[in-house]
Amino acid sequence: MPTDRHIIEVRNISKTYKLGDVQVPALREVSLDINDGDFIIITGRNGSGKSTLLRQLGLLDKPNEGTITLNGHEVTRMAEKKRSLIRLKHLGYIFQEYALIAELSAVENVMLPAMMLETTKACKPRAQELLEKVGLHNKLKYLPRQLSGGEQQKVAIARALINKPDVIFADEPTANLDSIAARDVLSVFKKLNESEHRTIVMITHEQDEISYANRIIKLADGKRV
Amino acid sequence: MWKYLIRSNKWTLSLIIFFIAIAFINMIFVTSLFNGIIEGFNEQIIDTSTGHILVTPAHGEDVIKNAPNILAKIESIAGIEAASAEVIVPGSIQYGNTKGSWQILAIDPERERTVTNVAAKMIEGNYLDAGDAGGIIIGSSIADSDAAEGAANPFAFSGINVGDTVTVLFGSSGYELTVRGIFKTKFIDTDDKAFITLDALKAMNPLYDNEATKIIVRAEKTGSEAELISSLKANGIKQNVYSWTEASTLMESISDSFLGINVILSIVGVLIAAITVFIVIYIDISSKRKQIGILRAIGIKPYLIQAMYVILTAVYSVAGVIIGSAIFFGAIIPYFNAHPFVLPIADATLMVNPGDFIARLETLIWVAIGAGLIPAIHITRIKLLDAIWGR
Repeated sequence: MPTDRHIIEVRNISKTYKLGDVQVPALREVSLDINDGDFIIITGRNGSGKSTLLRQLGLLDKPNEGTITLNGHEVTRMAEKKRSLIRLKHLGYIFQEYALIAELSAVENVMLPAMMLETTKACKPRAQELLEKVGLHNKLKYLPRQLSGGEQQKVAIARALINKPDVIFADEPTANLDSIAARDVLSVFKKLNESEHRTIVMITHEQDEISYANRIIKLADGKRV
Repeated sequence: MWKYLIRSNKWTLSLIIFFIAIAFINMIFVTSLFNGIIEGFNEQIIDTSTGHILVTPAHGEDVIKNAPNILAKIESIAGIEAASAEVIVPGSIQYGNTKGSWQILAIDPERERTVTNVAAKMIEGNYLDAGDAGGIIIGSSIADSDAAEGAANPFAFSGINVGDTVTVLFGSSGYELTVRGIFKTKFIDTDDKAFITLDALKAMNPLYDNEATKIIVRAEKTGSEAELISSLKANGIKQNVYSWTEASTLMESISDSFLGINVILSIVGVLIAAITVFIVIYIDISSKRKQIGILRAIGIKPYLIQAMYVILTAVYSVAGVIIGSAIFFGAIIPYFNAHPFVLPIADATLMVNPGDFIARLETLIWVAIGAGLIPAIHITRIKLLDAIWGR
């Protein structure tokens, strides 16, 4: 169950992209809190600002206005070097197209973020354990091309978990998967949230996936609705 | 890194290394060819004309007197392999109605064989035998054996054959000699000469008294000329002594020209190789822009990404250099040793100067590292979202 502790506090953030001479508002004064243990799903039509919001929350981009606070510290305009360290230590990412390094095995891909903080010897057992947890105990040494889409996404989930992040961000993680693989991946998210109290923020288009979340954030034209 | 390399796309990896190998071969081929041409020219001077050292009469004298004694003194010096005296015969040669002022040199054939390789360059007939007072050998320019139709030298003896008789006009007399052979060294200074024996000269000029116009000296090894010249002077050789580079100003100027061209082509070769390697590696790394973006997104430090690609390109370039060297030394050099470039003045093979080789090797590796570092720095500095989206 989620607690009342705010991991992330977002206040009135706006983001406008410039396309040539045209200013395109992607987010308009969005505010929200993400609590410890939340499983939040961000939903909305294409162009509603879901991915833009996730990128601001995940410190992959900076809003033009408003503030973002992580564990009580304002991170909105922090230098890229510090944001990079926060991303490494406190945030986990799962991308739609898995984003695994093709030349590294499943276990090496999972270990990669941890190798920035500790030795290979120290993080390898944890990487193996995470892969076992997502059901890939017999595919530790497989290269991404030897894995199915669902399995690759599970490797990406394990990679997102390796540094014990405060929040996991998933940008349409099931968009490229068939329904069986999608359910499989979502059950992993559900298990992580319920059994391990992991905080997850996920974007989806699929209505049947909304039931996995404890909170829904709906966006339309860059605003919360 | 090793795992990364062996698991990467084999075709792409092979292609990158192949391009680097070709660029490296291009860099060393051009300079090796010019080194080979220059070396071929130098060998021609030494082997067909001046030897390693040329001794000429002392200032104020027309001839080297008592040549046999001087030859003995020269040959007694350590590092000298052989020496031969040559006498310029002040005469001209007539064949039929054609008369030409070709240079005639009187030699001791046995000694001359030990200093020059003209005896090995006979294209017709034979070299002179010791004591042959009635024979002459002529160069291919005199025989006009190479002249294209309509381009014949008007003073050359077109149609002359071994066994024909020529007349050497010496003073007011003419001496008939039989053509024993025709030689072709490809060295223009030598191919327009004729050789007779000292015995033939004595028959023409009974007053000849062991003088020489010049003495040519073969050293045991090329490069020892300066040291040997000092030894010759220290051992009482009072005549003028020159190294082959000093003696052959024509070839020195040709060599200098080739060295100049070599430098220009080497710079162009290095630039072409640098650009090729840069483009190949830049494209390779740019194609990994999205991957680098993801690495950045998950918090991998940019300097580690840059270091990874620098190491990667260093490995590519070292592999390219090794494969390029293997192809160059294992296939290209042996091929051109067996089939030299046939040039009008000398046959040239490929000669690798170790200094040039190392300089080009280092250049290529540094260029490759730069080619890896520049796009890696660029991609780690562009906006994170652009990198993730591969823009």
